[in-house]
Amino acid sequence: MFSESPIMAVYNDVHRMGRLVKTVVSVSLGSRQRDHEATLTLLGETVAVRRQGTDGNLEAAVNLIQALDGQVDAIGLGGIDRYLVVRNRRYEIQDAARLAQAAVKTPVVDGSGIKDTFERALIESLHEDGVIAPGQTVLMVSSMDRFGMAETFERLGYQLVAGDLIFASHIHYPIRTADELEELARKLLPSWVRLPFHQLYPVGDAQVSDADPRFHEYFDAADIIAGDFHYIRRYMPETLAGKVVITNTTTPEDVALFAAKGVRLLVTTTPVLAGRSFGTNVIEAALVAVSGVQSGDPDWGAVVARAGLQGTRRQLNANPRGGAS
Amino acid sequence: MTLLEALEKFVSECNQNERLRAMNRDWTRRIQLEPDDTHRTHHLVSEAGIVSAGSGPVDNPDMLIQAPEAILTAVFSGQMTPTEPYNAGDLLVKGHQDDIMRLDILSLLIWGE
Repeated sequence: MFSESPIMAVYNDVHRMGRLVKTVVSVSLGSRQRDHEATLTLLGETVAVRRQGTDGNLEAAVNLIQALDGQVDAIGLGGIDRYLVVRNRRYEIQDAARLAQAAVKTPVVDGSGIKDTFERALIESLHEDGVIAPGQTVLMVSSMDRFGMAETFERLGYQLVAGDLIFASHIHYPIRTADELEELARKLLPSWVRLPFHQLYPVGDAQVSDADPRFHEYFDAADIIAGDFHYIRRYMPETLAGKVVITNTTTPEDVALFAAKGVRLLVTTTPVLAGRSFGTNVIEAALVAVSGVQSGDPDWGAVVARAGLQGTRRQLNANPRGGAS
Repeated sequence: MTLLEALEKFVSECNQNERLRAMNRDWTRRIQLEPDDTHRTHHLVSEAGIVSAGSGPVDNPDMLIQAPEAILTAVFSGQMTPTEPYNAGDLLVKGHQDDIMRLDILSLLIWGE
Protein backbone atom coordinates (compact mmCIF):
# COMPACT_ATOMS: atom_id res chain seq x y z
CA MET A 1 0.00 0.00 0.00
CA PHE A 2 1.29 3.44 -0.80
CA SER A 3 1.28 5.71 2.18
CA GLU A 4 0.94 9.32 1.20
CA SER A 5 3.78 10.32 3.45
CA PRO A 6 6.74 10.20 1.03
CA ILE A 7 5.08 12.35 -1.59
CA MET A 8 3.35 14.68 0.78
CA ALA A 9 6.58 15.00 2.76
CA VAL A 10 8.18 16.63 -0.27
CA TYR A 11 5.11 18.78 -0.80
CA ASN A 12 4.98 19.87 2.82
CA ASP A 13 8.73 20.36 3.15
CA VAL A 14 8.89 22.87 0.34
CA HIS A 15 5.94 24.77 1.75
CA ARG A 16 7.53 24.81 5.19
CA MET A 17 10.57 26.40 3.59
CA GLY A 18 8.36 29.40 2.99
CA ARG A 19 8.56 29.23 -0.78
CA LEU A 20 5.61 28.47 -2.96
CA VAL A 21 7.04 25.95 -5.38
CA LYS A 22 5.47 23.71 -7.92
CA THR A 23 5.35 20.03 -7.13
CA VAL A 24 5.63 17.24 -9.67
CA VAL A 25 5.55 13.48 -9.13
CA SER A 26 6.64 10.93 -11.69
CA VAL A 27 4.66 7.74 -11.19
CA SER A 28 6.72 5.00 -12.75
CA LEU A 29 6.05 1.39 -13.65
CA GLY A 30 9.76 0.90 -13.09
CA SER A 31 11.59 -0.45 -10.10
CA ARG A 32 11.34 1.31 -6.74
CA GLN A 33 15.10 0.91 -6.49
CA ARG A 34 15.43 3.95 -8.77
CA ASP A 35 13.23 6.31 -6.71
CA HIS A 36 14.65 9.76 -6.07
CA GLU A 37 13.71 13.37 -5.51
CA ALA A 38 15.22 16.74 -6.29
CA THR A 39 14.41 20.31 -7.15
CA LEU A 40 14.95 21.99 -10.49
CA THR A 41 14.43 25.46 -11.87
CA LEU A 42 12.52 26.00 -15.09
CA LEU A 43 11.38 29.31 -16.55
CA GLY A 44 12.51 30.98 -13.32
CA GLU A 45 10.40 28.79 -11.05
CA THR A 46 11.49 26.11 -8.62
CA VAL A 47 9.91 22.71 -9.02
CA ALA A 48 10.12 19.89 -6.49
CA VAL A 49 10.17 16.59 -8.34
CA ARG A 50 9.92 13.06 -7.09
CA ARG A 51 9.97 9.72 -8.83
CA GLN A 52 7.94 6.91 -7.31
CA GLY A 53 8.27 3.45 -8.81
CA THR A 54 5.54 0.83 -8.55
CA ASP A 55 7.57 -2.25 -9.57
CA GLY A 56 5.45 -2.85 -12.65
CA ASN A 57 2.18 -2.92 -10.72
CA LEU A 58 -0.35 -1.11 -12.90
CA GLU A 59 -3.09 -1.12 -10.26
CA ALA A 60 -0.72 0.40 -7.70
CA ALA A 61 0.16 3.10 -10.22
CA VAL A 62 -3.53 3.87 -10.80
CA ASN A 63 -4.11 4.13 -7.04
CA LEU A 64 -1.11 6.40 -6.60
CA ILE A 65 -2.22 8.72 -9.40
CA GLN A 66 -5.70 8.91 -7.90
CA ALA A 67 -4.15 9.82 -4.54
CA LEU A 68 -2.00 12.53 -6.12
CA ASP A 69 -4.78 14.00 -8.25
CA GLY A 70 -5.40 17.57 -7.16
CA GLN A 71 -2.52 17.44 -4.68
CA VAL A 72 0.36 18.20 -7.05
CA ASP A 73 0.81 20.48 -10.06
CA ALA A 74 1.56 17.81 -12.66
CA ILE A 75 2.07 14.06 -12.83
CA GLY A 76 4.53 12.31 -15.12
CA LEU A 77 4.10 8.77 -16.36
CA GLY A 78 7.41 6.93 -16.08
CA GLY A 79 8.42 3.58 -17.49
CA ILE A 80 5.57 3.80 -19.98
CA ASP A 81 4.69 6.04 -22.90
CA ARG A 82 1.13 7.16 -23.40
CA TYR A 83 1.71 8.30 -26.96
CA LEU A 84 4.04 6.96 -29.62
CA VAL A 85 4.37 9.73 -32.18
CA VAL A 86 5.53 8.42 -35.56
CA ARG A 87 5.52 11.07 -38.26
CA ASN A 88 2.00 12.44 -38.48
CA ARG A 89 0.37 9.63 -36.50
CA ARG A 90 -0.03 9.30 -32.76
CA TYR A 91 -0.69 5.90 -31.20
CA GLU A 92 -2.09 5.73 -27.68
CA ILE A 93 -1.06 2.85 -25.41
CA GLN A 94 -4.21 1.73 -23.63
CA ASP A 95 -2.61 0.89 -20.30
CA ALA A 96 -1.07 4.37 -20.23
CA ALA A 97 -4.38 5.97 -21.13
CA ARG A 98 -5.91 4.18 -18.17
CA LEU A 99 -3.21 5.59 -15.90
CA ALA A 100 -3.70 9.11 -17.24
CA GLN A 101 -7.44 8.91 -16.80
CA ALA A 102 -6.97 8.09 -13.12
CA ALA A 103 -6.39 11.82 -12.61
CA VAL A 104 -9.21 14.25 -13.34
CA LYS A 105 -7.77 17.48 -11.92
CA THR A 106 -4.01 17.31 -12.37
CA PRO A 107 -2.44 17.13 -15.84
CA VAL A 108 -0.71 13.83 -16.60
CA VAL A 109 2.08 13.77 -19.19
CA ASP A 110 4.37 11.06 -20.56
CA GLY A 111 7.39 12.88 -21.99
CA SER A 112 6.45 12.43 -25.64
CA GLY A 113 6.11 16.22 -25.91
CA ILE A 114 9.79 16.54 -24.98
CA LYS A 115 10.98 13.68 -27.13
CA ASP A 116 9.38 15.01 -30.28
CA THR A 117 10.70 18.54 -29.85
CA PHE A 118 13.78 18.86 -27.67
CA GLU A 119 15.43 15.58 -28.62
CA ARG A 120 15.44 16.54 -32.30
CA ALA A 121 17.21 19.78 -31.40
CA LEU A 122 19.68 17.95 -29.17
CA ILE A 123 20.84 15.69 -32.01
CA GLU A 124 21.18 18.72 -34.28
CA SER A 125 23.37 20.46 -31.70
CA LEU A 126 25.63 17.41 -31.27
CA HIS A 127 25.97 17.29 -35.04
CA GLU A 128 26.66 21.00 -35.44
CA ASP A 129 29.24 20.93 -32.64
CA GLY A 130 31.09 18.06 -34.33
CA VAL A 131 30.56 15.74 -31.36
CA ILE A 132 29.13 13.21 -33.81
CA ALA A 133 29.74 13.04 -37.54
CA PRO A 134 27.68 12.09 -40.61
CA GLY A 135 28.34 8.60 -41.86
CA GLN A 136 28.64 7.19 -38.37
CA THR A 137 26.41 4.25 -37.52
CA VAL A 138 23.73 4.88 -34.91
CA LEU A 139 22.12 1.98 -33.07
CA MET A 140 18.80 3.18 -31.69
CA VAL A 141 17.73 0.41 -29.35
CA SER A 142 14.15 1.60 -29.64
CA SER A 143 12.88 4.14 -32.13
CA MET A 144 9.11 4.01 -32.22
CA ASP A 145 9.15 5.91 -28.91
CA ARG A 146 11.76 8.36 -30.22
CA PHE A 147 10.89 8.70 -33.86
CA GLY A 148 11.96 12.35 -33.90
CA MET A 149 15.47 11.39 -32.89
CA ALA A 150 15.65 8.59 -35.47
CA GLU A 151 14.37 10.85 -38.22
CA THR A 152 16.87 13.56 -37.30
CA PHE A 153 19.82 11.16 -37.39
CA GLU A 154 18.78 9.94 -40.84
CA ARG A 155 18.17 13.44 -42.20
CA LEU A 156 21.65 14.53 -41.09
CA GLY A 157 23.34 11.63 -42.89
CA TYR A 158 23.90 9.01 -40.20
CA GLN A 159 23.52 5.28 -40.84
CA LEU A 160 20.45 4.37 -38.84
CA VAL A 161 19.95 0.94 -37.30
CA ALA A 162 16.65 0.85 -35.41
CA GLY A 163 16.53 -2.10 -33.04
CA ASP A 164 12.85 -2.14 -32.15
CA LEU A 165 12.26 -5.68 -33.40
CA ILE A 166 15.62 -6.88 -32.12
CA PHE A 167 15.36 -5.75 -28.53
CA ALA A 168 11.59 -5.74 -27.97
CA SER A 169 10.81 -8.97 -29.86
CA HIS A 170 14.19 -10.70 -30.24
CA ILE A 171 13.92 -10.83 -34.02
CA HIS A 172 17.21 -10.36 -35.86
CA TYR A 173 15.92 -7.69 -38.17
CA PRO A 174 17.53 -4.25 -38.09
CA ILE A 175 15.32 -1.47 -39.47
CA ARG A 176 17.51 0.83 -41.54
CA THR A 177 15.33 3.74 -42.62
CA ALA A 178 12.81 6.05 -41.01
CA ASP A 179 10.40 5.21 -43.83
CA GLU A 180 10.50 1.51 -42.98
CA LEU A 181 10.18 2.33 -39.30
CA GLU A 182 7.08 4.38 -40.07
CA GLU A 183 5.63 1.56 -42.19
CA LEU A 184 6.21 -1.01 -39.45
CA ALA A 185 4.70 1.31 -36.85
CA ARG A 186 1.64 1.78 -39.04
CA LYS A 187 1.16 -1.97 -39.26
CA LEU A 188 2.14 -3.04 -35.74
CA LEU A 189 1.23 -0.27 -33.35
CA PRO A 190 -2.57 -0.13 -33.77
CA SER A 191 -2.67 -3.69 -32.43
CA TRP A 192 0.25 -3.52 -30.03
CA VAL A 193 -1.03 -0.50 -28.12
CA ARG A 194 -3.94 -2.68 -26.97
CA LEU A 195 -1.68 -5.33 -25.42
CA PRO A 196 -0.82 -5.37 -21.72
CA PHE A 197 2.18 -3.04 -21.51
CA HIS A 198 4.42 -5.58 -19.79
CA GLN A 199 4.34 -7.61 -23.02
CA LEU A 200 5.86 -4.70 -24.91
CA TYR A 201 8.45 -3.32 -22.53
CA PRO A 202 10.29 -4.48 -19.39
CA VAL A 203 8.66 -3.16 -16.24
CA GLY A 204 9.46 -3.59 -12.54
CA ASP A 205 12.11 -6.21 -11.81
CA ALA A 206 12.51 -6.95 -15.52
CA GLN A 207 14.27 -3.58 -15.73
CA VAL A 208 17.05 -4.75 -13.46
CA SER A 209 17.43 -8.22 -14.91
CA ASP A 210 20.79 -9.70 -15.83
CA ALA A 211 22.74 -8.57 -18.86
CA ASP A 212 21.85 -10.35 -22.10
CA PRO A 213 24.55 -9.65 -24.69
CA ARG A 214 23.21 -12.00 -27.41
CA PHE A 215 22.74 -9.09 -29.84
CA HIS A 216 26.23 -7.70 -29.26
CA GLU A 217 27.05 -7.41 -32.97
CA TYR A 218 24.69 -4.46 -33.36
CA PHE A 219 26.46 -2.65 -30.53
CA ASP A 220 29.88 -3.60 -31.85
CA ALA A 221 29.09 -2.16 -35.29
CA ALA A 222 27.74 1.15 -33.95
CA ASP A 223 29.62 4.39 -33.29
CA ILE A 224 26.66 5.86 -31.43
CA ILE A 225 24.17 4.03 -29.22
CA ALA A 226 20.97 5.90 -28.50
CA GLY A 227 17.59 5.43 -26.89
CA ASP A 228 16.02 3.80 -23.91
CA PHE A 229 18.43 3.26 -21.04
CA HIS A 230 16.94 -0.02 -19.85
CA TYR A 231 17.34 -1.65 -23.24
CA ILE A 232 20.92 -0.40 -23.49
CA ARG A 233 21.81 -1.64 -20.01
CA ARG A 234 20.25 -5.04 -20.54
CA TYR A 235 21.65 -5.83 -23.98
CA MET A 236 25.02 -4.05 -24.06
CA PRO A 237 28.08 -6.25 -24.52
CA GLU A 238 31.19 -6.52 -22.37
CA THR A 239 32.83 -3.51 -23.97
CA LEU A 240 31.56 -0.26 -25.44
CA ALA A 241 35.04 1.15 -25.98
CA GLY A 242 35.03 4.45 -27.82
CA LYS A 243 31.25 4.64 -28.21
CA VAL A 244 29.00 7.64 -27.74
CA VAL A 245 25.88 6.82 -25.72
CA ILE A 246 22.82 9.09 -25.88
CA THR A 247 20.16 8.26 -23.29
CA ASN A 248 18.62 9.49 -20.06
CA THR A 249 17.40 8.39 -16.61
CA THR A 250 20.93 7.45 -15.64
CA THR A 251 22.07 7.26 -12.03
CA PRO A 252 25.67 7.71 -10.78
CA GLU A 253 25.95 3.89 -10.73
CA ASP A 254 24.84 3.73 -14.36
CA VAL A 255 27.42 6.34 -15.32
CA ALA A 256 30.13 4.32 -13.56
CA LEU A 257 28.99 1.22 -15.45
CA PHE A 258 29.26 3.02 -18.80
CA ALA A 259 32.70 4.31 -17.85
CA ALA A 260 33.85 0.81 -16.96
CA LYS A 261 32.59 -0.44 -20.31
CA GLY A 262 34.80 2.11 -22.07
CA VAL A 263 32.09 4.52 -23.25
CA ARG A 264 33.85 7.63 -24.55
CA LEU A 265 31.05 10.17 -24.22
CA LEU A 266 27.73 9.96 -22.37
CA VAL A 267 25.08 12.38 -23.55
CA THR A 268 21.92 12.68 -21.50
CA THR A 269 18.93 14.20 -23.19
CA THR A 270 17.64 15.71 -19.97
CA PRO A 271 19.46 17.74 -17.29
CA VAL A 272 21.46 15.98 -14.61
CA LEU A 273 20.50 16.93 -11.08
CA ALA A 274 21.94 15.34 -7.97
CA GLY A 275 23.82 12.94 -10.23
CA ARG A 276 20.76 11.71 -12.13
CA SER A 277 19.32 12.56 -15.47
CA PHE A 278 15.58 12.73 -15.24
CA GLY A 279 13.07 11.03 -17.46
CA THR A 280 11.49 13.11 -20.19
CA ASN A 281 8.16 12.72 -18.39
CA VAL A 282 9.57 14.55 -15.37
CA ILE A 283 10.83 17.43 -17.47
CA GLU A 284 7.57 17.66 -19.39
CA ALA A 285 5.55 17.56 -16.15
CA ALA A 286 7.71 20.31 -14.66
CA LEU A 287 7.29 22.46 -17.75
CA VAL A 288 3.52 21.95 -17.70
CA ALA A 289 3.48 22.81 -14.00
CA VAL A 290 5.28 26.14 -14.43
CA SER A 291 3.82 27.19 -17.78
CA GLY A 292 0.31 25.79 -17.77
CA VAL A 293 0.91 24.86 -21.41
CA GLN A 294 0.66 21.24 -22.57
CA SER A 295 2.27 19.50 -25.51
CA GLY A 296 -0.88 19.57 -27.62
CA ASP A 297 -1.09 23.37 -27.35
CA PRO A 298 0.18 25.56 -30.19
CA ASP A 299 2.56 27.36 -27.80
CA TRP A 300 4.27 24.16 -26.63
CA GLY A 301 7.25 24.43 -28.98
CA ALA A 302 7.88 28.00 -27.84
CA VAL A 303 7.66 26.99 -24.18
CA VAL A 304 10.20 24.19 -24.70
CA ALA A 305 12.52 26.60 -26.52
CA ARG A 306 12.11 29.29 -23.86
CA ALA A 307 12.92 26.79 -21.10
CA GLY A 308 16.43 26.49 -22.53
CA LEU A 309 16.64 22.80 -21.71
CA GLN A 310 20.14 21.46 -21.69
CA GLY A 311 21.20 17.88 -21.94
CA THR A 312 24.62 17.00 -20.63
CA ARG A 313 27.81 15.71 -22.22
CA ARG A 314 30.20 13.76 -20.05
CA GLN A 315 33.51 12.51 -21.32
CA LEU A 316 33.99 9.17 -19.57
CA ASN A 317 37.07 7.87 -21.39
CA ALA A 318 39.63 9.16 -23.84
CA ASN A 319 38.97 8.75 -27.54
CA PRO A 320 40.80 5.51 -28.45
CA ARG A 321 41.51 6.93 -31.92
CA GLY A 322 42.92 10.10 -30.47
CA GLY A 323 41.88 13.53 -31.69
CA ALA A 324 38.96 15.61 -30.62
CA SER A 325 36.36 14.06 -28.41
CA MET B 1 -12.56 -20.63 -46.25
CA THR B 2 -11.32 -23.65 -44.30
CA LEU B 3 -8.60 -23.44 -41.68
CA LEU B 4 -6.20 -25.26 -43.99
CA GLU B 5 -6.90 -22.78 -46.78
CA ALA B 6 -6.29 -19.90 -44.38
CA LEU B 7 -2.99 -21.44 -43.27
CA GLU B 8 -1.89 -22.01 -46.86
CA LYS B 9 -2.68 -18.39 -47.64
CA PHE B 10 -0.69 -17.31 -44.57
CA VAL B 11 2.24 -19.51 -45.59
CA SER B 12 2.20 -18.17 -49.14
CA GLU B 13 2.24 -14.57 -47.90
CA CYS B 14 5.14 -15.33 -45.55
CA ASN B 15 7.25 -17.11 -48.13
CA GLN B 16 6.72 -14.51 -50.85
CA ASN B 17 7.68 -11.65 -48.56
CA GLU B 18 11.42 -10.96 -48.60
CA ARG B 19 11.31 -9.08 -45.31
CA LEU B 20 9.48 -11.89 -43.52
CA ARG B 21 11.90 -14.46 -44.93
CA ALA B 22 14.76 -12.37 -43.56
CA MET B 23 13.09 -12.11 -40.16
CA ASN B 24 12.50 -15.86 -40.00
CA ARG B 25 15.85 -17.04 -41.33
CA ASP B 26 16.97 -18.19 -37.87
CA TRP B 27 13.51 -19.24 -36.62
CA THR B 28 12.85 -22.98 -36.64
CA ARG B 29 9.62 -23.87 -34.87
CA ARG B 30 6.73 -26.35 -34.95
CA ILE B 31 3.37 -24.82 -34.19
CA GLN B 32 0.25 -26.88 -33.56
CA LEU B 33 -3.22 -25.41 -33.96
CA GLU B 34 -5.92 -27.10 -31.93
CA PRO B 35 -9.49 -25.98 -32.64
CA ASP B 36 -11.23 -26.49 -29.30
CA ASP B 37 -14.60 -27.07 -30.97
CA THR B 38 -13.94 -29.23 -34.05
CA HIS B 39 -10.70 -30.79 -32.74
CA ARG B 40 -9.34 -30.91 -36.33
CA THR B 41 -5.66 -30.30 -35.59
CA HIS B 42 -3.44 -28.44 -38.06
CA HIS B 43 0.15 -27.27 -37.97
CA LEU B 44 2.65 -24.73 -39.21
CA VAL B 45 6.37 -25.42 -39.48
CA SER B 46 9.00 -22.70 -39.90
CA GLU B 47 12.47 -23.69 -40.98
CA ALA B 48 15.25 -21.35 -42.10
CA GLY B 49 12.88 -18.65 -43.28
CA ILE B 50 10.41 -20.90 -45.07
CA VAL B 51 7.03 -21.71 -43.55
CA SER B 52 4.82 -24.69 -44.42
CA ALA B 53 1.34 -25.77 -43.30
CA GLY B 54 -0.62 -29.01 -43.11
CA SER B 55 -3.41 -30.97 -41.51
CA GLY B 56 -2.86 -33.12 -38.47
CA PRO B 57 -0.55 -32.81 -35.47
CA VAL B 58 3.20 -32.22 -35.51
CA ASP B 59 5.84 -33.96 -33.41
CA ASN B 60 7.10 -32.10 -30.35
CA PRO B 61 5.40 -28.75 -30.99
CA ASP B 62 7.12 -25.61 -29.71
CA MET B 63 3.83 -23.75 -29.55
CA LEU B 64 0.17 -24.68 -29.13
CA ILE B 65 -2.62 -22.39 -30.28
CA GLN B 66 -6.15 -23.17 -29.12
CA ALA B 67 -9.34 -21.39 -30.19
CA PRO B 68 -12.60 -22.13 -31.97
CA GLU B 69 -11.83 -23.07 -35.58
CA ALA B 70 -13.64 -20.02 -36.94
CA ILE B 71 -11.38 -17.72 -34.91
CA LEU B 72 -8.23 -19.53 -36.01
CA THR B 73 -9.40 -19.27 -39.61
CA ALA B 74 -10.18 -15.57 -39.19
CA VAL B 75 -6.80 -14.84 -37.58
CA PHE B 76 -4.72 -16.69 -40.19
CA SER B 77 -6.69 -15.28 -43.10
CA GLY B 78 -6.24 -11.72 -41.87
CA GLN B 79 -9.87 -11.04 -41.04
CA MET B 80 -9.09 -10.62 -37.35
CA THR B 81 -5.95 -9.53 -35.50
CA PRO B 82 -4.69 -12.01 -32.91
CA THR B 83 -4.88 -9.32 -30.23
CA GLU B 84 -8.66 -9.16 -30.31
CA PRO B 85 -9.45 -12.81 -29.38
CA TYR B 86 -6.30 -13.00 -27.23
CA ASN B 87 -7.43 -10.10 -25.03
CA ALA B 88 -10.96 -11.55 -24.92
CA GLY B 89 -9.65 -14.92 -23.74
CA ASP B 90 -10.88 -16.72 -26.88
CA LEU B 91 -7.38 -17.48 -28.13
CA LEU B 92 -5.02 -19.44 -25.90
CA VAL B 93 -1.37 -19.63 -26.85
CA LYS B 94 1.10 -21.85 -25.04
CA GLY B 95 4.73 -21.29 -25.85
CA HIS B 96 7.61 -18.91 -25.43
CA GLN B 97 6.61 -15.25 -25.28
CA ASP B 98 9.09 -14.41 -28.05
CA ASP B 99 7.45 -16.92 -30.39
CA ILE B 100 3.99 -15.59 -29.59
CA MET B 101 5.12 -12.05 -30.37
CA ARG B 102 6.77 -13.17 -33.60
CA LEU B 103 3.62 -14.86 -34.85
CA ASP B 104 1.70 -11.70 -34.00
CA ILE B 105 4.24 -9.62 -35.91
CA LEU B 106 4.07 -11.88 -38.96
CA SER B 107 0.30 -11.67 -39.17
CA LEU B 108 0.31 -7.89 -38.63
CA LEU B 109 2.99 -7.32 -41.27
CA ILE B 110 1.00 -9.38 -43.75
CA TRP B 111 -2.41 -7.96 -42.97
CA GLY B 112 -1.82 -4.98 -40.69
CA GLU B 113 -3.21 -1.46 -41.29
